[in-house]
Amino acid sequence: MSAWIRNDTTPTAPWRIGVDVGGTFTDMVLADANGTIHTFKVPSVPADPSEGVVRVLQTAADAWQLPLGSLLGDCNLFVHGSTVATNTMLEGKGATVGLITTRGFRDSLEIRRGFRENQWDHRRPFPPVLVPRYLRLPVGGRIDRNGDEIEPFVPEDLEAAVREFQLEGVEAIAVALINSFLNPVHEQACAEMLRDIWDGEPDLVSLSSEIMPIMGEYERTSTTVINAYLAPRVVPYLKELNARLASSGLARPFLLVQSNGGMTSVERIATRPVNLLLSGPAAGVGALNAYRSASTTDNLISMEIGGTSCDVMLMGQGTVPVHDELMVAEYHVASPAVNIHTIGAGGGTIAGVDDGGMLFVGPKGAGAVPGPACYGLGGSEPTVTDAQLILGRLREGPYADGSISLSRELAEAAIKQAVADPLGLSIEDAAAGIVRVVEQHLLLAVQRISIERGHDPRDFTLVPAGGAGPMHGAPVGRALGCSRVYIPRHSGVFCALGMLYTDVRHDITRVFLSTVDNAEPDDIEAGFTTLEADARKMLAEEGFEGSAVRLARELDLSYRGQQWVVRVALDADGGRDPADIRSRFEQEYDRLYGHTQPDGTIEISNQRVVGTGLLPELSLGRSERTTKEPVPLETRSVYISPENGWQDIPVFAGNELRPGHVLDGPLLIEERTTTVLVGSGDRLQVDDADNLVLELQTIDS
Amino acid sequence: MSRQSLEHSQGTDIDPISLALTQNRLDDICRQMGWVMTRTARSPIFSDSHDFSCFITDHEGTLVSQADGIPIHTGGGGFTVAAILSAFGERISEGDVFVSSDPYAAGGNHLPDWVISRPIVTDGQLIGFTCNRAHQSDIGGGAAGTYNARATEIWHEGIRLPPLRIVEQGVMRQDLWRLLLLNSRTPDLMDGDLRAMVGSTRIGVERVNDLARELSVGTTVEFIAAILDHGERRLRSALKTLPEGRYESVEYTHTDCFEEVDIAIRAAVTIDKGHATVDFTGSDPQMRGFKNSSLVNTHSAVYLAITSYFEADLPRNGGAFRAIDVVAPLGTVVNPRPPAPLSMCTATIAHEIGHSVWKAMAVADPERACAGWGKSIHGITAGGMGTPSPWVMYHWNTLSGSGAVKGRDGFNQFGHVGTLGGITMHNIENYEQRYPVQFVRQEFRCDSAGSGEFRGGTGIDYEVMIGEKAEYSFRGEGLIHPSGYGTNGGTIGEPGRMTLTFDDSAQIEAPQYGVETYAPLQLHALSPGGGGWGNPFKRDAKYVLRDTLDGVVSPEAAETVYGVALSSDRREIDLDKTNRLRDVNTTADA
Repeated sequence: MSAWIRNDTTPTAPWRIGVDVGGTFTDMVLADANGTIHTFKVPSVPADPSEGVVRVLQTAADAWQLPLGSLLGDCNLFVHGSTVATNTMLEGKGATVGLITTRGFRDSLEIRRGFRENQWDHRRPFPPVLVPRYLRLPVGGRIDRNGDEIEPFVPEDLEAAVREFQLEGVEAIAVALINSFLNPVHEQACAEMLRDIWDGEPDLVSLSSEIMPIMGEYERTSTTVINAYLAPRVVPYLKELNARLASSGLARPFLLVQSNGGMTSVERIATRPVNLLLSGPAAGVGALNAYRSASTTDNLISMEIGGTSCDVMLMGQGTVPVHDELMVAEYHVASPAVNIHTIGAGGGTIAGVDDGGMLFVGPKGAGAVPGPACYGLGGSEPTVTDAQLILGRLREGPYADGSISLSRELAEAAIKQAVADPLGLSIEDAAAGIVRVVEQHLLLAVQRISIERGHDPRDFTLVPAGGAGPMHGAPVGRALGCSRVYIPRHSGVFCALGMLYTDVRHDITRVFLSTVDNAEPDDIEAGFTTLEADARKMLAEEGFEGSAVRLARELDLSYRGQQWVVRVALDADGGRDPADIRSRFEQEYDRLYGHTQPDGTIEISNQRVVGTGLLPELSLGRSERTTKEPVPLETRSVYISPENGWQDIPVFAGNELRPGHVLDGPLLIEERTTTVLVGSGDRLQVDDADNLVLELQTIDS
Repeated sequence: MSRQSLEHSQGTDIDPISLALTQNRLDDICRQMGWVMTRTARSPIFSDSHDFSCFITDHEGTLVSQADGIPIHTGGGGFTVAAILSAFGERISEGDVFVSSDPYAAGGNHLPDWVISRPIVTDGQLIGFTCNRAHQSDIGGGAAGTYNARATEIWHEGIRLPPLRIVEQGVMRQDLWRLLLLNSRTPDLMDGDLRAMVGSTRIGVERVNDLARELSVGTTVEFIAAILDHGERRLRSALKTLPEGRYESVEYTHTDCFEEVDIAIRAAVTIDKGHATVDFTGSDPQMRGFKNSSLVNTHSAVYLAITSYFEADLPRNGGAFRAIDVVAPLGTVVNPRPPAPLSMCTATIAHEIGHSVWKAMAVADPERACAGWGKSIHGITAGGMGTPSPWVMYHWNTLSGSGAVKGRDGFNQFGHVGTLGGITMHNIENYEQRYPVQFVRQEFRCDSAGSGEFRGGTGIDYEVMIGEKAEYSFRGEGLIHPSGYGTNGGTIGEPGRMTLTFDDSAQIEAPQYGVETYAPLQLHALSPGGGGWGNPFKRDAKYVLRDTLDGVVSPEAAETVYGVALSSDRREIDLDKTNRLRDVNTTADA
């Protein structure tokens, strides 16, 4: 088991702890009363993720020679990010679910609206439907498009369905009826009856009108089914972990990061486990929050690159957009989720040449096993990591406290055979080409989430994170036209750190079908007031009241006939003035698409309220400045860029660099879990928060 | 289009890294154009059904890159730009935008698909075009919604556009724009959609210009040629996996839209050294109704059928298509003489062309055979014409079942071959808000799928009440005759059926083709099932059990068609009886 401590001084109580259980590692970050950050990492225990949580806590306690009880006892905020929901989906190990539908519409879940990721890939089946047809059972009763009951609910149908469910061992029930977003009365009747006639817990019944009352039966049904599918697997696990930590001394129940980038309580998530699907990566919002003040900008783009994938997230003026669209393991989820764009590009991404002679990099990756060829674990296909080794940016020999060792010989052989020889290039040129292509993928991914959303990346600071991010920060930032790249020293525990800077958040929605000009201002106001009361109640139950509560109003708007809505923020008491709504919509629409339709009819589809429970502020601690000149570990021949070629450059150990240091590139910095490349003409500064700030030489200058 | 062979062109001095970067970037530009289109267009046919395609051609009109969009548009690009070049030649300037549609005069595929084309001029040199082909909501003609099933001449199908310069050096020709809108029943939708199309090509030109300035114009042109060469090598290498020879097949449509008549599409596919020739000689003469295939559509359908036989990542550009020759005799259903009508061709007869090519390829390579897809029956209902809010509703939710391939069953509801399933269906809740309709049912059929080791898709049982007097355009190709053929021992899927019930309980069979106006009614449709792949007696018995539990295969059919007997409570397989049934079958086989 490898564990490491960034700072071995004992922390000052009280502290906050964030634990992020990922697929490979369980990360822990502790921020003490001085704002000093301490990090720990242990291998995850996939069979019992809570074991990894306890182990990483024990590792920290041992390192400081504290009893576990004190470590937890002096913790005033414990935040948990968990992949347990995501993994349940990826492994297909959720509950046996029974689905109640409206008679005539049993198959909406399996038809999937025919949606294909790539229609040319027609030989590929859909993923297995989460509820087989024989467990999707209809009930009579119909609500029409005005929300009026035109056929009464038929209780006998539900009784028959439940008999079938009992026979087939159904563990959780989802109820999703047509037009229930307009009138939930039939779904509520089902829930009421199920309490009497079904043996399961009421928490294991999910109603679509409660989980996500949006228009569109497929997405609403899919989301509700996934909620039911997760509930029996996720909720008991979280409750047990909470009990286990409480018995070990944790004073307050822990909070969980949700897909919307905000936190909530275990109690609240028990009825909404579907909101946990992005629990880990969504904590990146908190990390960007943490770096906002240190980097003195509200415009940040993070690029978290691991072994096989890269997650890109944009924070514009301090806000990360939240959408209702999420795709997990090819299943559709309409639950509020921060907008993260993921591509298959990381250290383990495989390069090759197709049978027409064209170089490709990705999207396939070598995974943790066998991993890059240079790991010597049996991988023979060249990866980005192999290319970086050839280019001198990584060195031969042991990394990560000796758990892996890189072999140049294996990297060379793999690149020669799969890329250099087929293209008629030297091994070095082939390696440089692989890196250029993967950096193009990264660039296009960042552009997709910035330029295509009406943001100019030149106004942003790029935040590369993850093990492989800091190697690509400078080149990708330069290609984007960014002037600055901010590399967190804790880039390897980006999400765990983010958990400590995350507020509690609830997104609630109500369908509102009208046009801006025809809507009654009183109706809009009444809708918002209802949603706000719900939000206040939810936050109060979690201990937030008065000035710790912030409420924001939003409307989903579109020009008449358009299928894509634009989410527009209103003032705290906004919504009564059609002219104000129009001008806000036009401003946002113009920013997104570069034009508007003057006098075009604007349709409203949803009202939304975002309720935030604000935690006391926690700033990144400041480290002491030093005047001592840093001394490089070595000078190494490294390929810098197509323009600057190979040069002998200094390589610094990360812990040699302290706040106050200013160095001019090109140079390399070897941190424990990552390597930073600083390009020619770039200037590196270590800021007071002990993070690395690169001022980039832009292409034009 | 140039047809020179590129067997030996790999050893050029082009930097392979920059070439890969350029190809990725051009593909990304096409994708961005599509993104702008789906987000800004008005008519749901784009955002939901993706009935459009964005593409980039070289300066001669050869398709270089295409993204998003509907597969049956693949390969039409070059013809459109070639028509613009021949109409305007040297008089094409920076800032111009062209619009065109006509299949006979403008390289169009069918009249409703309008193409916006914009020249890419960098440093004074024309290096290509960015284009967007998109299905308009209405273009006049004899029926609302662009499908006039009564058409016998192209003039019945709507306004015909030769290549027109709609924007002249940056200035919109307002008179022409008004002319176009005046010819549509839904001018507001058309106005919004055309603006979205124009906007998407502008983004495309800006991005390609950036690229060309970075690389230099000369290098860009060289790289585009190299990208086409690469496409050709990839497709040739795929075609080389097929045994050489000549493979023949025939596929029929059974109506000319007016009467029952068998019309044959005969395809002979010759595979020779990584090259395919698809020869339609012997196909029947052009028909009276609107299902004739324009030459562009025939090319696209052939390209679609051949490339979809192989890996999904094959390039589909003008370079790849150099590995395919199409022989389509003039005056036949696959290359009619004017003024034959042809608006239906992107669905039917593209479907039949696709089937004919797939069937021929199945002879060459049975393992990879694609069983037939149920033909489409989705008609259109339109109302409110002449009022401020006209509406045109496509019955997408009647899509048919697709055919099986080895390793996967057919999709139960998927759409026709021309889309390869790339149609997104609507939520009925959204439709109920948008149109005066109320849905009764959209569920899988039982015993309708072609049987096989992998069975076909079931097709759908669909019922909807339409609450207003409305006009119906019927396009029931998949009615009456079964259409999803089986392969490798699999069987054909059931045909579709459509009935109309009126307020006074009177009931009629819907016409297979035609345009009619009716009072409020209830439309009931059964869409056809897809074909199966392989011997049904070899289907894994547990899948048969699952199908019976799911109610898409009856216990009787399980026994007679699949040789799988169930226990008395029908929850388990009766192993003994099943073994007996299946042994008998195997013996009979031998």
